[in-house]
Amino acid sequence: MNKPKLIISSAYAAILTIIFVVVITIWAELSVPLKDWLKNFSGHHWTSKSIFSVLLYAIATIVLYLSPHKYRNDRLKKTLVSLLVFTILGTVILTLFFTGHHFKLF
Amino acid sequence: MDIVAILQSKPVLIGLHLGFGIIGIDAFLWLLGKLKGDGGSRKSIVITAAIGVTAFIASWLAGGYYYVAYYGTLVKPIIKSGVAPWVHNIIMETKEHIFLFIIPLAMTVLFITLLEREDLDRLKLRRLALWLAGTVAVLGLLIGAMGFIISATVRWGAIN
Repeated sequence: MNKPKLIISSAYAAILTIIFVVVITIWAELSVPLKDWLKNFSGHHWTSKSIFSVLLYAIATIVLYLSPHKYRNDRLKKTLVSLLVFTILGTVILTLFFTGHHFKLF
Repeated sequence: MDIVAILQSKPVLIGLHLGFGIIGIDAFLWLLGKLKGDGGSRKSIVITAAIGVTAFIASWLAGGYYYVAYYGTLVKPIIKSGVAPWVHNIIMETKEHIFLFIIPLAMTVLFITLLEREDLDRLKLRRLALWLAGTVAVLGLLIGAMGFIISATVRWGAIN
């Protein structure tokens, strides 16, 4: 098993998943048809987001790991730093979005 | 009442959600100590991370079932009609979505623990591994604090 490649594949997939969750969540709050579609897919919008995020993470990790692309070791460190940054950004963006949404700023 | 009915009851689901969440947080704090102090075998480090990931998945499933089956019909109306509807609109909405960050993040930390000690140092990943494990624990604590605020709001909403 190529462990550094597994780590970098997982980190990229995690970043993709965080971006997906943030985008689909904000988009669905602002678009009734999208939220209805998410509700109809599994019975609850959050369940649909959970299913899609798990599938996205798992599939992206496997595809990236199996891809022939080779990563340099310094890329691994940069990707993990990016994962940290995206986690913090995702948390802040969602908190600010729901705060603004509550106060009807958008 | 059979075992499935007991597991699906509201207090048990909340207990499982919280209990597994605490185990997940503790496991990643423990992992943080092991990585920082360079203590324990590689096997024990991997097992600690695996316990953390498994506990967070179990917490997600128990909390998710409770949220989908009961929260919307029984809990949300009390909060929305109470003195602090913002607790649902801001705290609950944020909590339920940032929870989705934890598993991919925790899985990545688990994969880092698969590295041999020498590789971890050669790739200069130890400090980053500490930061990532710490972020999982802090995110878990943040979500726990949000859950406490939501529960407290329901109690006071029900009293008011």
